[in-house]
Amino acid sequence: MKSRREFSPQTLSVLAALFQEPSRWQHGYALASQTGLRSGTLYPILIRLADRGLVEVCWQEEPQPGRPRRHLYRLTAGGLASAAGALAARAGRQPTGRPAAGVGPRARGSGQPVGRAAAAPAVR
Amino acid sequence: MSWLGRAGARLMPAGRRDWAEAVWAEAREVPPGWPRLAWRAGGAWLMAREAQMVHRTGTLLLFTAAAGAAAWSAWPASAVSHAATARADIIATVLLLAALPLLARWFLGPPDNRAARWLRAGGYAAILAIMPAKAAILLFNGTVPRGGPGLHTFHVLGGHGVPGSVSVDPSVAGDIAILVLTACGLAVILALTARRTRVAPATLAIGAGTGLALGAAMYAVDPLGVNRYVTAPWLRGTWTDQIPAGPAQYLVALAWILLFGAPLAAGAIAAWRCHVPDDPGEASAARAWQGFAAGLVSGGVGALFVTVLGTGTTALLVRSAWLRGWLYHGQHLTATVVYGREVFATGNLVGYFVLLVAFPFIGLMMGLTGAGIATTIRPLPDGGNPGGPGGPPAPEPVPDPPEDGRLPDPGADQTGLPGRYDDGQGDQGTPRLVGAVLERVP
Repeated sequence: MKSRREFSPQTLSVLAALFQEPSRWQHGYALASQTGLRSGTLYPILIRLADRGLVEVCWQEEPQPGRPRRHLYRLTAGGLASAAGALAARAGRQPTGRPAAGVGPRARGSGQPVGRAAAAPAVR
Repeated sequence: MSWLGRAGARLMPAGRRDWAEAVWAEAREVPPGWPRLAWRAGGAWLMAREAQMVHRTGTLLLFTAAAGAAAWSAWPASAVSHAATARADIIATVLLLAALPLLARWFLGPPDNRAARWLRAGGYAAILAIMPAKAAILLFNGTVPRGGPGLHTFHVLGGHGVPGSVSVDPSVAGDIAILVLTACGLAVILALTARRTRVAPATLAIGAGTGLALGAAMYAVDPLGVNRYVTAPWLRGTWTDQIPAGPAQYLVALAWILLFGAPLAAGAIAAWRCHVPDDPGEASAARAWQGFAAGLVSGGVGALFVTVLGTGTTALLVRSAWLRGWLYHGQHLTATVVYGREVFATGNLVGYFVLLVAFPFIGLMMGLTGAGIATTIRPLPDGGNPGGPGGPPAPEPVPDPPEDGRLPDPGADQTGLPGRYDDGQGDQGTPRLVGAVLERVP
């Protein structure tokens, strides 16, 4: 029986995407592009991770003109430790010894910098 | 489309609305066409999921079906004399059941635990079950028998009227009184199970459990109406006698003990289990509140349970020959005696409504007494020991939460509640007050 603390494959893929550049704030569409998850799957995962204190969230401080502000996400210190542990455990279970999907560097779907929000995001 | 997103976000709990806005804002970055539509569909799914739309819709459908069935069963024919008042009573009751939860949600918040939801569901089921039972009893009580021994007995008992006719006196005052009683009872149930009244799940469970025991004992003594006689046909010789020697005495004694003892025990246990904050004043209030609530729930559930069972048995008695045969198994009764007992039983209906007022009142008094006893045995905190002598050790001081920009927690309004209850169940994601901060218990 799966432990309640064990992450689902989808959650692991989100953690892996955030783990690639832990200090960088990322937005939902970029995460969806990286993980291949639909919005209806991705956001419940992000909500649960935020509830558990593994992901911190904020709103973009200076949105592009004519565009609404975007929600940004990155791992907390606790999230970083949990993600590292979970991804290492998953990599350890890979029979071929190859890096697990989503752990290694990957081209970002829409990986433009998020402006000042990356350095000093404003919290709404 | 953005207005749709904003409207959908309003359906979500306050702590989740940012997420709905986030999905909708992000849709602008998704390529137009199917991908954007799929993104928004996912956002709509998120909103439906977080707003518990499926659960709410299911609850609404279940309530509609149950209320419809109860109203249909209780709906009087046009020919009966009390049709207008009875119909108005049914409509008003259903409207109360539908509207009061909305008001309670607005002022006191929704139920936030399983015990509260079960208690509400039980209260609704009880009120809906009493409705047709009451209608059947009133109809029997007001119907003039068509002939035979029943008509003779009817005349002997002082009844008059055309055989086969229904002559229930439409009592507007009585119906209004019952309606007010229903509204008050429902309001109490809704208030005690709402989030902001801070009644612990264990308090509700303890109160309900002891209340069910009380109701079952009362039903065993008086299944066919509350009367100065024991009305249980299974206690031989009790129909017209004062309490006879033997099992009936023990059962009656048990019912009396439970009437006072069940809410007393519920109040004491609930107060005992209450984890109290440092402030002795708040601790005392928290314990008293939990004891009060447990006693009230105990008395209320006991009264509702015995009323549902008793009115249901009486209603079936006058309609079902099978039940009559089962109740009076082994007794050779004439038709006149059977009719007399049915009249006797249906005439006791008002006793249940007296009981519905008296039991909760006794319950709350005994619950408060129980809380006082628990506080005496387990003293309030003094100095730096929140548990008091013999209580649990004081929690370690916890630093203030960092200003790290996390979204507000949906249960964050529960922080700082005096006497927040630790029921030990530890549901995932259930907020509990531990030490000085709110934390999620995995």
